[in-house]
Amino acid sequence: MTTLLAQEAPAPAARRAHPAGTRRPRRRPDQIRSSVAAWIAVAVIGLFALLPLYWLLVTAVSPKDQAFQFPPKFIPTDFTLENFRAFAENEALFDYMVNSVIVAVLTSLLSVVVATYMGYSFSKFRYRGRKSLMNFVLASQMFPQALLLITLYAVFRQFGLLGSYTALILSFATFTMPLCVWMLKGIFDTVPDALLEAAAIDGASRWRTLHTIVAPLAAPGMIAAGLFAFVRGWNDFIFALTLADKDTMTLPPGLVNTYIGEFQTAWPALMAASLVVSLPVVIAFMFLQRYLVGGLTAGAVKS
Amino acid sequence: MTTTGIAPPAKARERHGQKLSNGAFALLLTLPGMALFAAIVLYPLIASITTGFFKQDLRFPGRTWAGLQNYADVLNRDFWPVLQNTLVFTVGATAIPFVIGFALALALNSGLKGSGFLRGLFLFPWVIPGVVVSFLWMWIFNANYGVLNGALMKIGIIEESVSWLGEPTTAMLAVIITKTWASFPWMMVMLLAGLQTVPRELHEAAAVDGAGAVRRFFAVTWPGVRAVAAITILLEFIWNFQHFDTIYVLTGGGPAGATETFAVAVYQDAFKGYDLGHATALGGLWMLLLLVLVGVYLKTSEREPK
Repeated sequence: MTTLLAQEAPAPAARRAHPAGTRRPRRRPDQIRSSVAAWIAVAVIGLFALLPLYWLLVTAVSPKDQAFQFPPKFIPTDFTLENFRAFAENEALFDYMVNSVIVAVLTSLLSVVVATYMGYSFSKFRYRGRKSLMNFVLASQMFPQALLLITLYAVFRQFGLLGSYTALILSFATFTMPLCVWMLKGIFDTVPDALLEAAAIDGASRWRTLHTIVAPLAAPGMIAAGLFAFVRGWNDFIFALTLADKDTMTLPPGLVNTYIGEFQTAWPALMAASLVVSLPVVIAFMFLQRYLVGGLTAGAVKS
Repeated sequence: MTTTGIAPPAKARERHGQKLSNGAFALLLTLPGMALFAAIVLYPLIASITTGFFKQDLRFPGRTWAGLQNYADVLNRDFWPVLQNTLVFTVGATAIPFVIGFALALALNSGLKGSGFLRGLFLFPWVIPGVVVSFLWMWIFNANYGVLNGALMKIGIIEESVSWLGEPTTAMLAVIITKTWASFPWMMVMLLAGLQTVPRELHEAAAVDGAGAVRRFFAVTWPGVRAVAAITILLEFIWNFQHFDTIYVLTGGGPAGATETFAVAVYQDAFKGYDLGHATALGGLWMLLLLVLVGVYLKTSEREPK
């Protein structure tokens, strides 16, 4: 999948017949100008990108009276870890976090296992209906969640599953499955067919080939797909907001219910909690750097 | 070999007692996935859309046939304002991040020192969870203690505090800015990857030939990234067209419906108003528009060589 971006043909228009030696290229001033422009762009966008993050950090370590001060203190003078302690001591928030971990991990496991078989089938076999199936899987991540949610809610209620982990995991799979299937298909595409043919000739069954030869080779990719699914599940808001109850509530809707809509939101505490929720995904992305383009697009551009 | 994939030779298959043909084996592999998709995507989608033809209350069982009544109601009441809000949000939250992301990608691709580090740094707004983005900007836009009001007053752009999320025009602007902040890094990564496939020699050759920076951009750079840019814009457009989290947390669709997009309107109709018929009729129209976009997308990305 990372090769997808290499398919663009270079522009032929750029090569123009030009009598050799008629003009010396003036590259120095040109280069300086473009690097100045580059630095200006980076600086301006950098302010837009980083100042909010700065404010997130500052508020999270500010005592209440400093945070609720107007005009605000742009450079803080008082620091406290009180807001993080409040998070750690809040039992409801701790439960939400446990729920988030359970649901995100199970969603990710389910998606990777099911998507491995599906992605392998899409990658290594050619059969009728394959293309339509692939397109359906790809398009399914673009179907509106709010619309799916209405029937999912009704069905889960009918089966008595409202407020269960099962409901959350199955609903999260609506967006983790397409991601994993396409990412894993891309990973299996990089396993050479010749290897599988050799295995077949050596007498390994197709089943065995997949489990003992291909899967170990694809393991890093499978872990990456699982991490992406974990992150997406961890970040989900709309499904957990609607399908969870107070015992299965995950952190994102849990934080909204805890902090938003009060008469006066406890902003320092909420910013501290926000940092805590962000931590696992930030760590996950440090491992995912290499898979970034592939994972971000997961079938965005078919390769 | 291309049509049969990894088919072991027929004789070998017999030798190992494989009863299934390759096609059947491949389908078998997709079965768990297909069952899952049918249960959690296909059925809910169809059931939701058919609900649009009934009068149904979320809180009570049973429903009555309503024909096209819901659709008529929706088209007479909220479809058009909601469509307008959705389009304003979607266009704004796609165009602005694209410009920012592209500028940044060009800058990082120009051989800047530490561009790898900068790329990682700029990813943060995109990496952190959507609700956190919403909380943070809600706090920044806060009417009483918000840092935005404080900063703008300090440099003299405004004289008194603005209730950014409380006024219809500024509320829409606020959600677009928030979404922009969270989206531009993704566009940057995509476009940067696209730019890196444009051979440097082409730029050099053009420069030697005396093409200026602007000329080189349109003759070399843009043709090289056009396809990636199209896909990136299209995908972001589709995602924004059904975006829920930021708007729901920041404004809940308010004030006075000024930021009520399809996602928020359908959700509120169903889970706050309990009117499933109305919600799914609106959702059906929404889905129709999305299907057109998805169709365009599938066509644009259709370039599988096999």
